[in-house]
Amino acid sequence: MKRLLNLTLGVMTAIGGFVDIGNLVTSGITGARFGMSLAWALLLGTAGMTLYGEMAGRVTAVSRRPIFHVVRERLGVRTAMVNLVASLLLNVLTLAAEIGGVGLALALASSINYILWVPIIGFLVWFFIWKVPFAVIERVFGLLGLALMVFVVALFHLHTHWHALASGIVNPVVPSGEGHPTWWFYAISLIGAALVPYQVFFFSSGGIEEKWSVEHLGEMRANALIGFPLGGLLSLAIMAAAVPVLQPRSIGVNHLGEVGLPVIAALGKVGLIIMLLGFFAATFAAAVESAMSSGYITAQYLGWSWGKQVRPSQAPRFHVVCLITVLLGTAFMLTTVDPVKVTLVSVVLGAAAIPLTFFPILVVANDRRLMGKHANGRIVNALGFAFFVVIVAVSVATLPLLFITKAGQ
Amino acid sequence: MTADTSGWGIPVGYANEFLLDREILDKDDTPVGKVDDLDFEILPDGSPVLSAILCGPTALGPRLGGRLGTWWVSIARRLRPNDDPTPVHVGIDDVDHVDRETLRLRITGSNAGTLRLQRWVDAKIVKRIPGGE
Repeated sequence: MKRLLNLTLGVMTAIGGFVDIGNLVTSGITGARFGMSLAWALLLGTAGMTLYGEMAGRVTAVSRRPIFHVVRERLGVRTAMVNLVASLLLNVLTLAAEIGGVGLALALASSINYILWVPIIGFLVWFFIWKVPFAVIERVFGLLGLALMVFVVALFHLHTHWHALASGIVNPVVPSGEGHPTWWFYAISLIGAALVPYQVFFFSSGGIEEKWSVEHLGEMRANALIGFPLGGLLSLAIMAAAVPVLQPRSIGVNHLGEVGLPVIAALGKVGLIIMLLGFFAATFAAAVESAMSSGYITAQYLGWSWGKQVRPSQAPRFHVVCLITVLLGTAFMLTTVDPVKVTLVSVVLGAAAIPLTFFPILVVANDRRLMGKHANGRIVNALGFAFFVVIVAVSVATLPLLFITKAGQ
Repeated sequence: MTADTSGWGIPVGYANEFLLDREILDKDDTPVGKVDDLDFEILPDGSPVLSAILCGPTALGPRLGGRLGTWWVSIARRLRPNDDPTPVHVGIDDVDHVDRETLRLRITGSNAGTLRLQRWVDAKIVKRIPGGE
């Protein structure tokens, strides 16, 4: 019974934890601008995250080492350093976007400008890393993030044209008036929102924090194989809810508040309150996780002690890296840079950087001397390789599209 | 010990693949660093023998190579108390065993000499933050 409860709790946490500012913003924008014509990108990204998340979790549980050890061993010190630096910069960018998201959620609730919330949120993020146990961070906010299910409820209240939605998914057409480069740019943003590097590092390092071993493989698989796809479906619901409300009125999403308009239209104030709770939980948890992920990967690359199972004075360098990340992310948000724009840039750059993490995962998941009978089977390998080819193509196309479309304008 | 094994079940000539970048744990399971480089002695008959594990940024820098490696070493050197670029040597006699994941020491991390930065960060930053004791 306790095992089943743990399993359910883990899956629910994974659903809530999957959605962060990247999913909220990209699903909202694309639903409002492109209808369901980009749903395929969201589904593709989610499938990739599920596939590689499970591999990363399996490698962690069997070898009892987190992914960034593997990155350094298999890529060599130099390429792994490129990955480390890129991931650290991305973490700062992601953290800034998440802090902005928390700020926008609090601003919607309080009518106090988001920028005034930013330093307070930055402090709270650091405080959670410094003092709050790992399980609380992961579980409580993951579960609160399920408040975003309110988008699914809204979808049923909105007299959605299900048939039109489904045919939009199956037959994607670039809407008239939109250029192809812009459409592809947002496709990459959706793929990137599902494949954020910090989530892979956090999932795997979290496995070490929770002392995963081969016996936990089932639990880990349930988290990845059920939790991540359901998280993807939640993102899809956010996209779908925008279609009947925002697209006909040509309301573009320039602010987190506009992502929530469908919920307000369908469910009024109660919906708004639940949604804001979901926004807050999803973005705050992601802020804490992306900052911690910087500490994790730096410590794992350099062989430092790390994690929240030991007191701060036993992993001081880990905590200082987390602290510096929080300071940089907060400072960046305080420059009044647009949180929605930062989010878009961070997810597409994340998509460009992810092959450097997925490649070593794929290699090690095939190492039979290390993984024994838990090495990749043929089907997983075929899917993993196919997706790797896709993500390399995405990686090559990202920067040109970012500049051609001026980040999707 | 046969001619083609080193006594640890590692074929001679494969020291790089089997040792480099392994995580180093001390005898209490505390991470103390990575195998950043290896030090060999040449015996009178010309055959190389592994004598020490090198650990720390001044050992990693040369492996990074290029300008990045040069910067890395010069920053690391300035961070050291005596401006001495020689990295931390962990004698091979202090190594307990090595497997595909980790290299375990017979000694504690504080004796290995790789925790200087950790102690400095702890004393100068972490202990000064409330709750950092």
